[in-house]
Amino acid sequence: MEFLVGSVWAAGLAIGIAAFGCGLGQGIGLNGAMSGISRNPEAAGKIQVNMLIGLALIESLCIYALVVSLILMYAHPALEAATAALGAH
Amino acid sequence: MQDLTKVVDLITKSNWLLLVVSAMVAVMTTSMSFYLGVVAGGLIVAVNFHLLKRTINNSIRPEVVSEKGRSLVGHVMVKYYIRFAVSALLIFLLISNHIVHPLGLLAGLSVVVASVFIVTLLVVTRLYFKEAV
Repeated sequence: MEFLVGSVWAAGLAIGIAAFGCGLGQGIGLNGAMSGISRNPEAAGKIQVNMLIGLALIESLCIYALVVSLILMYAHPALEAATAALGAH
Repeated sequence: MQDLTKVVDLITKSNWLLLVVSAMVAVMTTSMSFYLGVVAGGLIVAVNFHLLKRTINNSIRPEVVSEKGRSLVGHVMVKYYIRFAVSALLIFLLISNHIVHPLGLLAGLSVVVASVFIVTLLVVTRLYFKEAV
């Protein structure tokens, strides 16, 4: 039982922390880009490209965390054994 | 500026190329669920990248920034969360119904990251050899 509870806790914490961090990172990046474009509109193209690559990398981190948390809840290798052991008791 | 636009185009093309190559490798060497995972994950991130590119091209322009200011940050973030929610739903359905192998899905989801690293290596190598000559 502790195993299942631990898995769910870990999954929730994983996606929660990852989403918080990624949202914060994207917000800070966007904020910097806005400031940069406001101060120097001619550099908008360069800023756009770098921001696009940065945001794509940040976003993929969050998706990784989501997959890991879903694996913990639905496709954990030891989940079936744990469920079977729980059913036996 | 044009060089940087070319970099983004190169990343977009290499996304699709890498997806096709990894799908071909997966279909030849791994099981069906792993192959499906690679294809589904690759498609999700490639489409996500396209949508992100469109959002940034439409929103982050000097005239729009000077007009709307920092409220644009919220606008882009809301679009990000909508995209993320849709991706999350798709990934949830794929994993919870055991349609795909989770490791295959992770491999597929790494397509954009891998192509960004490959393009970065290409650009740095080109720059290095250009300076050496």
